[in-house]
Amino acid sequence: MAEQAHIKKGNRKAKTRMLFNFLKGSYLLFFAGIVFTFLISFTDTLNPQIVSAVVDGVIGDGAENVPQVVEKIIELFGGYQGLKDNMILTAAMVVSIAFISAIAYFSNRYFITNASETLMKNMRDRIFTHIQHLPYSWHMKNRTGDIIQRCTSDADNIRNFITEQLISLFRIIVMLTLSVYYMYSMNLTLAIISTSFIPLILIYCILYRSKVGKRFREADEAEGQLSAMVQENLTGVRVVRAFGREKEERDKFTAFNNEFAGMWMKLNKLFTFFWSSTDGIGYLQNVVVVTVGTMLCIQGKISSGNLIAFISYNVMMIGPIRQLGRMLAELSKADVSLDRICEIMSAKEEHDRPNAIELDKIGDISFNHVSYGYEERKVLDDVSFTIKEGQTIGILGGTGSGKTTIISLLGRLYDLEEGCGNITINGGTDIQDVKAHWLRKNIGIVMQEPYLFSSTLGGNIAISTDDASEDEVRTAARIASLDETIEQFKDKYETFVGERGVTLSGGQKQRVAIARAVLAGTQVIVFDDALSAVDTQTDAKIRKELAVHFANSTVILVSHRITTLMNADNIIVLDKGRIVEQGTHDELVKKDGLYNTIYKIQKSGSEVE
Amino acid sequence: MDNTDYKSKSLPFFGIPKLAPFIKPYKKKMVLMVIFGIMVSVLDVLLPQFQRYAINHITDGVFEKTIVTFVVLYVTTVLLECTTNYLSCLFSANLEISIARDLRNACFNHLQTLSFTYYNQNGVGYIHSRVMSDNIRIGEVVSWELMGVVWNMSYVIGTMAVMFATNVTLTLLVITVIPVVLLMFSIFQKKLVFYHRRIREINSRITSNFNEGITGAKTIKALVVEDKMINKFKSETQNMRRTSINHSKVRGLFASTIVFASSFALAIVLWRGGILTNEGVMELGTYSVFMSYSLGIVEPIRWLVDSVSGFIMTQVNIERVTRLLSISSDVNDTEEVIKIYGDTFETKKENWEPLKGDIEFKDVSFVYPDGKETVLEHFNLKIPQGTTLAIVGETGAGKSTLANLVCRFYEPTKGQVLIDGRDVRERSQQWLHSNMGFVLQTPHLFSGSIIDNIRFGKLDATEEEVMEALRSVSAEGIVEKAEKGLNTDVGEGGDFLSTGEKQLISFARAIIADPRILILDEATASVDTLTEQKIQNAITSLIKDRTTIMIAHRLSTVVNADMILVVANGKIIEQGTHRELMKKRGHYYDLYMRQYDEDAVKQTLG
Repeated sequence: MAEQAHIKKGNRKAKTRMLFNFLKGSYLLFFAGIVFTFLISFTDTLNPQIVSAVVDGVIGDGAENVPQVVEKIIELFGGYQGLKDNMILTAAMVVSIAFISAIAYFSNRYFITNASETLMKNMRDRIFTHIQHLPYSWHMKNRTGDIIQRCTSDADNIRNFITEQLISLFRIIVMLTLSVYYMYSMNLTLAIISTSFIPLILIYCILYRSKVGKRFREADEAEGQLSAMVQENLTGVRVVRAFGREKEERDKFTAFNNEFAGMWMKLNKLFTFFWSSTDGIGYLQNVVVVTVGTMLCIQGKISSGNLIAFISYNVMMIGPIRQLGRMLAELSKADVSLDRICEIMSAKEEHDRPNAIELDKIGDISFNHVSYGYEERKVLDDVSFTIKEGQTIGILGGTGSGKTTIISLLGRLYDLEEGCGNITINGGTDIQDVKAHWLRKNIGIVMQEPYLFSSTLGGNIAISTDDASEDEVRTAARIASLDETIEQFKDKYETFVGERGVTLSGGQKQRVAIARAVLAGTQVIVFDDALSAVDTQTDAKIRKELAVHFANSTVILVSHRITTLMNADNIIVLDKGRIVEQGTHDELVKKDGLYNTIYKIQKSGSEVE
Repeated sequence: MDNTDYKSKSLPFFGIPKLAPFIKPYKKKMVLMVIFGIMVSVLDVLLPQFQRYAINHITDGVFEKTIVTFVVLYVTTVLLECTTNYLSCLFSANLEISIARDLRNACFNHLQTLSFTYYNQNGVGYIHSRVMSDNIRIGEVVSWELMGVVWNMSYVIGTMAVMFATNVTLTLLVITVIPVVLLMFSIFQKKLVFYHRRIREINSRITSNFNEGITGAKTIKALVVEDKMINKFKSETQNMRRTSINHSKVRGLFASTIVFASSFALAIVLWRGGILTNEGVMELGTYSVFMSYSLGIVEPIRWLVDSVSGFIMTQVNIERVTRLLSISSDVNDTEEVIKIYGDTFETKKENWEPLKGDIEFKDVSFVYPDGKETVLEHFNLKIPQGTTLAIVGETGAGKSTLANLVCRFYEPTKGQVLIDGRDVRERSQQWLHSNMGFVLQTPHLFSGSIIDNIRFGKLDATEEEVMEALRSVSAEGIVEKAEKGLNTDVGEGGDFLSTGEKQLISFARAIIADPRILILDEATASVDTLTEQKIQNAITSLIKDRTTIMIAHRLSTVVNADMILVVANGKIIEQGTHRELMKKRGHYYDLYMRQYDEDAVKQTLG
């Protein structure tokens, strides 16, 4: 229990720190916005005072309880006598105040939006940057849809709470304080009567919220379920049709939809009652204030101008008090969102070791007793091998044999744990002591299922280089046998691909990835089953080109086709995370082990029929 | 798709007449809502009169004498206001919920009848928001916003009537403010709508940036382009910030000019009314009440103006929903067919003849309704009852076309698809589908229990039958190891199960109704090796005595098929038995060899 409390406390600290980070750069803007909020409230509460002073001082026999500010303003416009002589000046006075108010309104909106957008930009940028720097293992663990939901709607919730609720809280407090202050300065009895309603309404609001809260959440959940049902029906439309279950789906939906609507009907009854009853309380309070106020006025305890002003303030108070009740509900919503984002932000970013270095080149690469497992399962078990500079090495293995893990470890997409062996380059430098970015920049990995960014084809090829010329891009495309395909598109290299562009086939995507690697021209290049979706003819053509292009590079080939690997200087045969055989093609064939068995089957296959 | 939506032109009366059939059942409620709404505003206009009365009678002693009557009347009016307010809100809320509910039902039902052409052209997210958010918005508009208009309109009219009755000149002066407000509105409106759209566009770009940064994580890291991605992202968020701030300037200017304009109303009253009161022409109470009226009238006018822009924006929602409801499917049963076989929702099973399973493509040409290229041209093929047709080719090459035609998810552009010798269009879709079993590449389960999902294939299946179906695909293990057995919840979209388990259950679902035609659409593509083995074993027994169309990318399964079609780029490029195709040394041979090599590794190394 104590521990839990401790975690909660630590969490709150992290949340507060995160929030302050998000707010960096927008403090001053928020502050300016709040200052103008004060100004608006001030001018808003000024009007009734002006009216009161005019009624008593200009029309009546003399003003009472006039605040100093108002006196000053009236003096500015020629004093009571001046106003009496020239009534249009009262109008000028009101318009001037309104002018200030309008400027305050504008500035307030400008500063608050600016602050809010700065906050939002900062929040989004920080989240995105953080996600980009999170280790790959984090990405593997979390679901895309969920993360995006957090980055968008939860971020929105936080922004809305800060810029709308929190700011109006300031405004409400100022309004209430000023109104109450003016009311008390005008007439104590009436003020006590009027403000005694405040706690009443507030308590009513809170009680009501707690009563409705549960139902509200239920209805909210029901909406989520209804929405999920539609989603399921739409994504499963083929299943529904193929099984002819349209009627059952309709009945299910209708039943749920009606139930959902019924929940809202009940909820709305409560809401409606709440609205009209708080309205009622407000109006009744007004009845009391008007009646008692008039009686007091008759007894001469309050001037008629003051009474008019008092009634205006009284009306002004009711709205904000009701708003306070709503704010409490919003607060818990924002807190949940903050938690959800905090979970992302508190995940550890990738870090190089403090003394991480950059080298001048990547020479020999050695895996020394490397073991690796995701969670419980061991994917690599005591794997050791060496790749000499400029060599080509082949890795043969089935699905789940750990081939891809070897590549991911080499690119430091995953880091090895203490005591699980190490990977060294240039005869002794642990790659964990090398800067991860430098390492990846110098090891090109062509994946089986590469990702294309929503950009042009040319842009996708040149993504990892900043200054590739058009010719270089074309050459890379030619080596990857992509040039002819590209020429077929109307916009050639400017063809848009990805989310909102042309969809490429698996083989075309793979060739784009190869062109990328060619253009990047790294010292070490890995082909992770990179031509699996390309047809045999093109495959052979590309491989011939690559052999020339990467003649001086260290090449790692991953495949399950012996014809792809047989010319390598060294071939590693992987089985369930262990190296079972190693050597050149000729050596392995002579050994008559697993490699040779596979070779024989594959060879006989190519001779069948 | 979304872009064209914004450009939609204005509809007469904001498109509300298009909703007439949905509003009609609630006509009475709507009338009552309006009546009570008007009553509320009349009472709202009356309330300040009490204040006026009180202040006017401060000095003449009348107030003290009438105080009891005053309080009673005042309180009665307040209570009456509350009651009418309650009732009008209640009717309004009722309307909102009912209409949104009916629209949702209508949309959902209509979607059940639309063909795949519609589903291919519109993303799930797009359709989803038609059913959910658009309808919610429409519900709001025809209830609350409409009542708001009624209330505000009658309040403004009522207030003006009282003002005119009290003092004509002063009122005329005050209402000069109204055209100013309207002018401001027309000036600012266009700009505001423009910014509103821009912001939405940028927002959706930011979301896709998030998406890219997250789904492309591995590639981004391997290529070390994090900074590039971050910079791209930051330029979008910067764009958003700039646009939003510009938007706020326009909005701020709009709001503050209205504040300023409304102050003129007060200023005029203070000035002219002050003179009148000074001269004794006007009483003090009247003067004060005039001020509250002239201040009170500005807010409702602004509200009215706002609702106009609200209505303009909602036209898009109305348009989208009514368009969805008016789209008709391009696969329809004819009147005669419906008469005999029944429609989608009301079937006439008694008239259904049994299906044997002979399939024939007769001179079929086909172009996808949303495509340009001819996928099939004068295609002829017989799939006799009980035989297996396999279709192979690269992912995304258009292998599903034939299956789609057999299922009548699409109809041929030219030619005929015959089932048991009769055109597929001569009998109802429901008849056809009830005789078919279907397994997809990505198994789709529905929220609910395992048994619910399997019964999707046969509604009245007994538990024993369900277990039998599971056993026939060697999937009984899933149920046995689960605590609640058949009643185990599968989660949303079947998320509590592994893909392999989901696929096995979808097999059981397909098989339970003992279908005559079985369609396996890459049914083993996304499962692990172990499950694949299980399914492979099951398939052999499942396809016996059934006409089977097997779309596959693993070729080991198709070797024994009676006929194999090879598809590339949406066209059939080779056709024959395994033996014939291997001899040809063409595309099939290539594909086969590649997988053969892979299998060799798999067999040897496990």
